[in-house]
Order: sequence, then structure tokens, then C-alpha cells
Amino acid sequence: MTGGRVLVVDDTAFNRRLLVRLLGSIGHEALEAEHGREALALLRDPATAPVDVILLDILMPEMDGYETLAALKADERLRDLPVIVISGVDELASVVRCIQMGATDYLPKTVDPEILRARIEASLAQKRLHDLERETLEQQARLLATIERQRSELSRFLSPQVAALVSSDDGEALLAGHRREITAMFCDLRNFTAFSEAAEPEEVLGFLRAYHGLMGPLIVEHAGTLEHFAGDGFMTFFNDPVIQPDHAARAIALAVAMRERFADLSTEWRKRGYVLEIGVGMATGFATLGRIGFEGRYDYGAIGQVIILAARLSSEAQAGEILIAHRTFAAAEALIDAEPAGERTLKGFSRPIPAYIVAGMRAAEASA
Amino acid sequence: MSPDAIDPAEFAHLREITGDDLEFLDELIDTYLEDGAVQLEAMRLAGDRDDAEAMIRPAHSLKSSSANVGATGLTELCRALEADARSGTIVDAAGRVGECRRAFEDVRAALLAERAARG
Repeated sequence: MTGGRVLVVDDTAFNRRLLVRLLGSIGHEALEAEHGREALALLRDPATAPVDVILLDILMPEMDGYETLAALKADERLRDLPVIVISGVDELASVVRCIQMGATDYLPKTVDPEILRARIEASLAQKRLHDLERETLEQQARLLATIERQRSELSRFLSPQVAALVSSDDGEALLAGHRREITAMFCDLRNFTAFSEAAEPEEVLGFLRAYHGLMGPLIVEHAGTLEHFAGDGFMTFFNDPVIQPDHAARAIALAVAMRERFADLSTEWRKRGYVLEIGVGMATGFATLGRIGFEGRYDYGAIGQVIILAARLSSEAQAGEILIAHRTFAAAEALIDAEPAGERTLKGFSRPIPAYIVAGMRAAEASA
Repeated sequence: MSPDAIDPAEFAHLREITGDDLEFLDELIDTYLEDGAVQLEAMRLAGDRDDAEAMIRPAHSLKSSSANVGATGLTELCRALEADARSGTIVDAAGRVGECRRAFEDVRAALLAERAARG
């Protein structure tokens, strides 16, 4: 064991010298104090290197061993320091009192180097274990605080579901990639390109702020996983990473709510001479989900025909239309009012695709 | 060395634990003698004033350092004095302090003789 720093507190110079010398000969560095008051001043002086063990005499002027022990135990920063009481053979009652007050051990006044060595090393080991324990606890607390900070920062940048996934136990496996049935939804604005070219940049940005401010909370409210948003468009999917058995109906409910909420904004901008309408496309099917991107910039994303279909339907949708694919319709049929909208020939799809136009949620289930 | 003042076995033990560093041993003995004189003076004042409370600490201190140099007779005198002082009454305090002083002088003579004998 490597040497420690030992503070010898004894008013008798002879005893102090002898102890300091012996401590030195067994590899410890010794500091001296004549009484408790001096010892406390030394321990509390920031210039003093940390002490590992205190050897404390009981009978001393100024501040005796009991008072010193009480002061040490009352001091948050010093209370864990091991204290070995130096005592004569006829002072065992005092030793008992000191140990009750928190002293670790005692050392007979008639010094024996072997006993001194053993007691100091036992106390040093205890102190080191304690330091290690405290260090570990502090590290743990710092680590937890960092994780918590990261989690709360992440949830500002990512969908809350994805942020939760990243910090969850099975997050790694899910991020690595998996297949699952989802309902994907694309939403963008008709005439937005013309608007952004005609309007002042401040107007465009002001409009987008209002638009995102309206749509964002709705997505969170319906627990959609927002994959990305860019300008006037965004892509959201349901049933991943959080399982949602009613994912098709949920997606439709979100689209209907968006259309309703957008109506006021649309009216307001119509007064300023701009006609802006929302258009939504939606499809249900299996996709591959997980971490997509490259080292340095990854997104939690979805890949598959279902995504492309939803995007194509969104392009097909007229102003104010919610256009959904057959599987989405079939999954939510009982909960929605929708009309067949014919078969659409879409880029990338060899056969015409039947589509449905959603009028709204059925009254009884409208709260879903 | 006078065996009455210093127990040779105890003194040999002190010499052993100092690692036979004679220079340090001499320094330690000097410290003991200086320290002892101070404690004895405090004991004398306490004895003259018949102040038992003031007797405890110097008697205790001289007892413990005397034990370490092997001054067994002086150690016992101090031990008894300390015990009585703690009980609150010391019979013939001044006389017993005088006894301690004489014993201390014998110890001093024995320690200095030991040093002289080493050359």
C-alpha cells in the first residue's frame, strides 16, 4: 500500500516527534498539530494537501480530543476522515467514549511500530474505499445528469418517440433496423411554390412559423412520429417506434384535424391575396425502419413502397383533399366517412391504384 | 545507566523503534527533557495552588512521555498523581510534585549518562 498523509495531534512534543518519525519510517507523510484548534485550522486551510488519517490525543490544552472529534464529525467535509485516538492503557473509558463519538480505532500511547503500521493501514484502506465510493457516486450523478440533459435536448430535435427510443434499453436493436406495418402520411401545401416566389421573404417565413406552430402540436397530440419537415411539407408515420394498433385511424384523424385547423390560417392569407390549401396523401403497409443516414448525421426514417405511395397520393391530392390508399381505408373504414376516388395511375406503380377521399371522422368516433 | 530511573529494556525498545538512529534518539531525549521541565513547572504551580484540575494535563503528559523513554518509576508517580487529580483531591500535592521532580532529575542524569557512555 502506498503511503498516506497522517495528521498527528498531540500537545506533548516528545510524542509528536516520535510518531512523526515512526510514520516517516513506515512510508507515511506526517503533519503535526499541538491541539485540536490547530488541527482544525490546518484541515480547513485550502493550502493544506488532503489528510487521510488523523492520530488524535485526548487530553490537550485549547481544544481536547473530544471537542476536536465533535467538530470533525460536525464538518461535512471532514466527517469521513478516519480518526485514531491515542490513548494510555488506563484510559480505556475515554477510548470507548471516542469510538461512540465516531473515532475509528485507538492506538496505545506506548508506541509500537508494528501496531502503528497496522492501524494506519487499516484506516487508510477504509479511507480509500470511502473516497472511491464517493467518487463513484459523484461520477454516477454526473453521468445521470448528462443523460437527462441529453434526453431533454434530444426531445427538442427529434420526435418525442424517437428521443425515448434512443435512450431505451431495446433502442439499439430497433435503430439497427426492423420491418413493421405503418401508416405514412405526407402533407404539403398547394400553391406554396408560387406563394414563396411572389411574397416577401419575411411574409413567407412568418407564414411558415404560423403553419408549423399550428401543425406541430397536432402531430404531438396524435402521437405521430415526425420523420422530417421541409418548408411547407412534412412526413409523419404511425405505429413505430411506439406500437399503435389504430395507426390508420389515428393518421386520418390527424389529417382531418390539420385540415380543420388550417382553414382559419387559409382564410387569413386569402385576405392578403394568397390562396394556400393543404393536401394530404396517406398509405398503409410494411416499411423498413431504423437509423438512416451516415456517420455524423442520422435520421430515424422509414423506407419502402408505402412511403412512395403516400408521397404520390399527396401529389395527387387537390386543394383541401385527404387522399388515402386502399389499405388505409380498409383499416379505418368503420371510423371514417370516405368516398372512392377512382383508380389513379401513379409514377413508379405498374398498376392503377384505388384511392379514397376522406370527408371526416364519423361523429361517434370523432374524438379518437 | 541507573536501573532505578530508567528501565534498560524499555529504553532499548525506544532505541530500537528509532531505528538505532542515535542522532534522532538524542534529539528525542532533549525534547523529552525540555518538555518534562515545562510539565513539571505546571505541576509545581498546580501543587502550590492545590488546584487538582490544573494538575491533570501536565501529569498526564509527563506520564506518557516518561513511559516511552522507559522512566518507569516517574511514570508511576505521575500516573498516581493524575488519578488523584481526576478524583478532585490530591493529598500532599506539593510534596508529591517534589517527588516527581527528584525522579525527573534522576531520569535526566541517567539519560545523559547513557549518552555520555555512547561517546
